[in-house]
Amino acid sequence: MAKQAGRKREKQKKFYDYTLLFVIIFLSCFGLIMIYSTSYYTAQLKLNDPSYYMRRQASVLLLGFVVMIIVSKFDYHRLMKLAPLGYLISLVLMVLVDFTPFGIEYNGKKRWFGIGGHSLFQPTELVKITIILMMAAYIVKYLKVIDRRKTIIWMLLLTVPLIGLVAKNNLSSGIIIAGIVFVMYFVASKRKTNFVVLILLGAAVVVAAIVIGPMLVKMGVLQAYQLNRIMVWQSPEAYASDGGFQVLQGLYAIGSGGIFGKGLGNSIQKLGFVPEAQNDMIFAIICEELGLFGAACLILLFLFMLYRFLVIANNAPDLMGSLIVIGAMSHIAIQVILNIAVVTNTIPNTGITLPFISYGGTSLLFLMLEMGLVLSVSNRITLE
Amino acid sequence: MSRIPVALQKRVRLGFALCALAVVVLLSRMGYLMIFRSSYYSTLAEELHEREREIKAARGRIFDSEGRILADNCTVCTVSVIHNQLEDPETVIQILSEELSMDPEKIRRLTEKYTSREIIKTNVDKETGDRIRARRLPGVKVDEDYRRYYPFQTLASHVLGFTGSDNQGIIGLEVMYDSVLKGINGRILTQTDARGMELDAVAEERVEPQPGNDLVLSLNIDLQTYAEQAAKTVMEEKQARQVSVILMNPKTGEILAMVSVPEFDCNDPFTLNTEANPETEEQKQDLLNAMWRNPCINDTYEPGSTFKIITMAAALEEGIVSLEDSFYCPGYRVVEDRRIRCHKVTGHGAETFLQGALNSCNPVFIDVGLRLGVDRYCQYFRQFGLLGKTGVDLPGEAGTIMHAQTDMGEVELATTAFGQSFQITPLHLITTAASLVNGGHLVTPHFGVRVLDAEGNLVKTFTYDTEKTIISEDSSRTLRYILKQVVSEGTGKKAAVAGYSVGGKTATSEKLPRRTGRYISSFLGFAPADDPQVIGLITIDEPVGVYYGGTIAAPVMAEIFGNILPYLNIPQEEKQQME
Repeated sequence: MAKQAGRKREKQKKFYDYTLLFVIIFLSCFGLIMIYSTSYYTAQLKLNDPSYYMRRQASVLLLGFVVMIIVSKFDYHRLMKLAPLGYLISLVLMVLVDFTPFGIEYNGKKRWFGIGGHSLFQPTELVKITIILMMAAYIVKYLKVIDRRKTIIWMLLLTVPLIGLVAKNNLSSGIIIAGIVFVMYFVASKRKTNFVVLILLGAAVVVAAIVIGPMLVKMGVLQAYQLNRIMVWQSPEAYASDGGFQVLQGLYAIGSGGIFGKGLGNSIQKLGFVPEAQNDMIFAIICEELGLFGAACLILLFLFMLYRFLVIANNAPDLMGSLIVIGAMSHIAIQVILNIAVVTNTIPNTGITLPFISYGGTSLLFLMLEMGLVLSVSNRITLE
Repeated sequence: MSRIPVALQKRVRLGFALCALAVVVLLSRMGYLMIFRSSYYSTLAEELHEREREIKAARGRIFDSEGRILADNCTVCTVSVIHNQLEDPETVIQILSEELSMDPEKIRRLTEKYTSREIIKTNVDKETGDRIRARRLPGVKVDEDYRRYYPFQTLASHVLGFTGSDNQGIIGLEVMYDSVLKGINGRILTQTDARGMELDAVAEERVEPQPGNDLVLSLNIDLQTYAEQAAKTVMEEKQARQVSVILMNPKTGEILAMVSVPEFDCNDPFTLNTEANPETEEQKQDLLNAMWRNPCINDTYEPGSTFKIITMAAALEEGIVSLEDSFYCPGYRVVEDRRIRCHKVTGHGAETFLQGALNSCNPVFIDVGLRLGVDRYCQYFRQFGLLGKTGVDLPGEAGTIMHAQTDMGEVELATTAFGQSFQITPLHLITTAASLVNGGHLVTPHFGVRVLDAEGNLVKTFTYDTEKTIISEDSSRTLRYILKQVVSEGTGKKAAVAGYSVGGKTATSEKLPRRTGRYISSFLGFAPADDPQVIGLITIDEPVGVYYGGTIAAPVMAEIFGNILPYLNIPQEEKQQME
């Protein structure tokens, strides 16, 4: 097959989405700079090594970059054969993390897979990729009968247990994976009424949670702490001492940024006020340092990235490739939008990282793998 | 391309459009937060980050008349802990309790407080502070600071007073001239991280402290020391409760020395100067308050015979008596239905007014007082500035306790005329006497002379009016003559100083309640008698044994004068005569 491709390359001009590649490189390097900026102070204090987080992220990035380039040169159809294996491994790992000592707790949440107390990686990130590949394969196979009840039930049987295992210790990742499944099915399905009903139902649940929630608490049906995040979201100032702290500190950071920000490295809020500023709340520090202008540029760059996904998905050589890109696109879109919505207190707080920017080795490595797949799809596009 | 269903392509475009819509929503949310709410959140954030620290201003120094330092500042340390920065609280508690000799439990409570900064102890001496700093304990801050320091410790303690932990005056001149001395504290506004660590990179706003101005007094350390030594000696000899000495320049009202022994240590004003061992805090506070009282101005007493100076002056000024007027003393005088005794029970017999003054004869002064009458006597009392206060620049001056003019009968008038049945402060007595013998100009007693800034430039000179005349120069001269005779031939003989002419008057006042054997012996004297350069009053409170003022108080003043007159470069009169 490689020889065939080689022969083709000589005759036809092969496409490779260098624009997307550039955006990926730019975002991850920008991420490195922001991780250094947000973490050097606390890293110096806690670890006596200001560049600790940045160096760790940089080494993962380097590895991830190599993985991405190699994967992008592979035919994704060959990688698809690994999807069932990946699915099984994901399932096993999630069970191990959730129910055995291989799962390692961090900040009270069992999210890490590790041996002998040494945490290695977060399996949820692997789950995201395998779900994308698995859904792509499933939809390709059953596209014609996609709206049949049996197909839907089988799809749910394949995905829901995995989502449940993820959501047990990591609700936000569960939501993201469910979102990916939902979007991929939505794109493939021909019956739109289902989705209108589903979206209306979802909106109704959200409204109910806000309006009926306090009433239910009064009636004793719901526990107060379950509503805490919603209360905090509605008025972070009033709940500053319990739960609102992080949100409020993030708002302080965003608000003090103004239009052009305090300048790179000049954030005050990162100096311990925003807890672990290099993680979920990194966007707040970006707002503080680079201002509305810098933050808007970043968001628009993400939007441009989604546009590149759109172009690749709609020009993919086959449905399989298109669905892989759609999966990646929904993954990035959901995570970016939710993260920024959380940081700006537009929706209740939930721990979602900002792709390419937030600190986190596993997340970055699997993101690069995912980007490798997308680039691989783009590489199969032949220009006419 | 065509391999992708068009419907699917459309839905992907729809998905992208939804993302773009979400981005627009988020961008407007951010625009709202970062433009319209920007000032709100940045103000809140800055309040969170800012920490204001005061830089204490150095308090002005106090100098004596010769420019010697009476009150200075020394560097001390304030030890505090920052809860967030503590790494090993147990070690910190142990070391601090050892170094500062404090209860470990108290320190533990302070370190457990979740505040940005908790002060453990102020006024820690510099050596201890340096030792604690050298340990480099995380979370422990040692800030340098000023503390008041009095190089002469007990000297003039009641006059100078002392300062509190915030360098504010508590008693004495430190209170009176607080606004002159205190200066303006500076401020450092810094930004801190979440643990309260100051950030170097952020520009700090710094307002420099302005040191307080220096105060120059009329008080002279040498004169104060002479007077204090003399007072201490007589207090020990006579086992007296307390001895006060005031030395004043009668022409200006400048106070040269003001002693009240026992003095206390200004550097350690919260330690009692007696053996007393109070049981409760309240008792201790009462004893401390008593210790800090300045009897010269805070307490009143019945002046006794020294007050005859005032009666004399009023009578001379009114012209109702001359030196040669004759009187008769049978040893008592009956006023209305009361028999008022003279101190000489057998009586002085026939005597002139001058002789009556020399004998300090009560019946003579009763007669003179009655001649003046209540209205005229009260008018002079007022005119001499005896009602109200002297206006001395010390806090807490006691007012005169005097009969209301309408309530004053002949008995009250008679007793007042020789210094009983009313009360004034020693300072009030000497001030009035000074005003009477200086030619009749009412003076205001004071310590403060000049204010200098920290570089020694003159900021202000205090001026006190001496224009008001209370008696004529003639009456003043006659008064000086009488009082000079009192020392050379009368009851004040023991106040005589070789080579100098001294004028004065003795007194022995029986304390209330009467007949308990408690007396205040006093002597008021001035020298040279013809042109007074210095006037002094000594009061000996509750002497044991001989209690006559002429016997025990006059010689002390003679000793003081003998020391200070040459010091003040007042020429000896015999030498002048010899030339």
